[in-house]
Amino acid sequence: MSELKEQLKAQIIEQLNLEDLSPADIKDDTLLFGDELGLDSIDALEFIVLLESNYGIKIADPSEGREIFQSVNSLAAYIEKNQ
Amino acid sequence: MKVVATSYISVKGAFLNEKKIQHADDTNWLKSLYQALEIDYPKFYKMDTLSKMAFLASEIMKNEIAAVQTSDQDMQLLFANSAASQQTDLKYLDSYANGGTPSPSLFVYTLPNIVTGELAIRNKWYGENTFFITEKFDEDFFKEQLQFAFSRGNKSCLCAWVDTPTDGIEECFLFLVSEGENKPGNLELLNRLNNYRNE
Amino acid sequence: MGIETKLASRLKPVYLTYGSLVSPLGIGMEQHLTAFNAGKTGVSFQQGTGFNKEDYYLGKIESLSNNRYTDLLSLGFNDFVEKVGQELIDSPSTLIIVSTTKANLNDLDSDTFASTRKFIQETTNNPNTPIFISNACISGVIAVNTAADYIRSEKFTDVIVIGIDALYDFVVYGFQALYALSNEPSKPFDKDRKGISIGEACGIIHVTSNKPTSFYVDYLGGASSNDANHISGPSRTGEGLVRAVNRSIERSNIAKENIDFISAHGTGTVYNDEMESIAFSRLGVNHVPTNSLKGYFGHTLGAAGVIEILISMLSAETNTLFKSLGFDEQGTSESMNIITNNTQAEIQTVLKTASGFGGGNAALIFQKTL
Repeated sequence: MSELKEQLKAQIIEQLNLEDLSPADIKDDTLLFGDELGLDSIDALEFIVLLESNYGIKIADPSEGREIFQSVNSLAAYIEKNQ
Repeated sequence: MKVVATSYISVKGAFLNEKKIQHADDTNWLKSLYQALEIDYPKFYKMDTLSKMAFLASEIMKNEIAAVQTSDQDMQLLFANSAASQQTDLKYLDSYANGGTPSPSLFVYTLPNIVTGELAIRNKWYGENTFFITEKFDEDFFKEQLQFAFSRGNKSCLCAWVDTPTDGIEECFLFLVSEGENKPGNLELLNRLNNYRNE
Repeated sequence: MGIETKLASRLKPVYLTYGSLVSPLGIGMEQHLTAFNAGKTGVSFQQGTGFNKEDYYLGKIESLSNNRYTDLLSLGFNDFVEKVGQELIDSPSTLIIVSTTKANLNDLDSDTFASTRKFIQETTNNPNTPIFISNACISGVIAVNTAADYIRSEKFTDVIVIGIDALYDFVVYGFQALYALSNEPSKPFDKDRKGISIGEACGIIHVTSNKPTSFYVDYLGGASSNDANHISGPSRTGEGLVRAVNRSIERSNIAKENIDFISAHGTGTVYNDEMESIAFSRLGVNHVPTNSLKGYFGHTLGAAGVIEILISMLSAETNTLFKSLGFDEQGTSESMNIITNNTQAEIQTVLKTASGFGGGNAALIFQKTL
């Protein structure tokens, strides 16, 4: 699980062009859509692409995404459950 | 009308009123400029090249712009280039044409006027904006549009030639023009641009 | 009186007249009037047009070849020349303005605007450099506003405004990636609306300082304004649209009570239509009969402003408020007076609005002489 989380952090940084950040800057429970990272609704859509391209998981409705993408913890949990 | 200030961004660096104020690293030149200029705006990294260049050009001109602004909606943005959003268009196409998935964050930048949107968001500018496509920098064209802008009641215009041509240099030439007496005169725009290009 | 109203009252007249219009509903204003009177839609089921071969509804013109953009431009332009004559097109007092978001995407590797320049060079002797406006979905309205600037400056007596965008996978896939496409024909302002249907079209408006002998309207004024909020989502408060409309009203030297009909943007997305209801409510014009034409054409991007102004002119000419196709039940938090059936009404003063990516909003006002 922790390997998946580290992998996710690197993928998030790449997919979302968060060039200033390294994986160490994203904690497992950091609120991804909170003030720290400044992510917006377009970024949420990129998360959907990330899930599909890297993990083969399709999300039909972007509004489901809010809960899944809350943090690296919730993202990793969702992936483990749905792969 | 009167040119109040100019700035220029290219791989050579950042220039304000014809003086170089920051050198750019050879690799990742835009990122190096952003960091060296000590601007704190994480959204920068999501922007495409056009928006990054225009953003930096306007950031270094912040004081001059603030000095002429009379309200949050009296400054028109008059932008133009030759290649529209071609560079980003090709990146977006590439995101899906060879086995990937269309990227939403690239798609939103496949319109040249996103540049003016980024600046408006950063600075809370609610004024008029138009993005034109011309084959090359055309001083007479800008002067025409400037006349129109002032005739409609705008007090100043922030103009830009911001381009990513496949067969030329990536550059942003930003110039701030205030109404003064609304007569075109000689704004020396092409001369100024050439001076920057030849630095 | 502010500076802007003083300017409006002493400004030179600007007339808008037909024109040409090529869409899935046909070619020319007559064919379109017939279609609109019959409530016919140009949006159709298009199998497997999504990125993963999903089905979507698109405003597709079936007769176009793989060179969609140039075919569309030819059809529109040739129809227009037939009406106005080559002399007008070739005149040094005539300027051509083209409004497009993607131009000819078949040429993405080289220059997507080149084929338009070439077409104009080859089919006209017009000596003036054509002007291109690429400002997302508000390009069309901005193009007409810019044409008016040129007429009022007396640099030209005639401006031909061409609004054109063709259907491309590039665009369909992109809106799909943004979850902005509906899998049904779009339903602007409706409570069950799910998104846009993309369309393609070419519209041409003739803007002139010479009072036309056939039907025309008086262009009064227009403006654009940025939301300063988000690059692809509209402002929740409709700030940019409110400002664009207010400035258009000031520049037109009319009172907002004069407005008889609003041709809104109405794309059919949850956010855009909601924003418009809020803006119109803030402006105090949400009781004015309003429609979106995107149920008939789909969202035609750079062509939208131009073709929608043409149909609004047709509304004024025939005193017909055209039904807002796709609308059944109010779906916005602020009420709007959405036209539910083709209705005869005295239409003199028309407000056209548009909103687009990049936070842009634009509006213009025209008036029929009674």
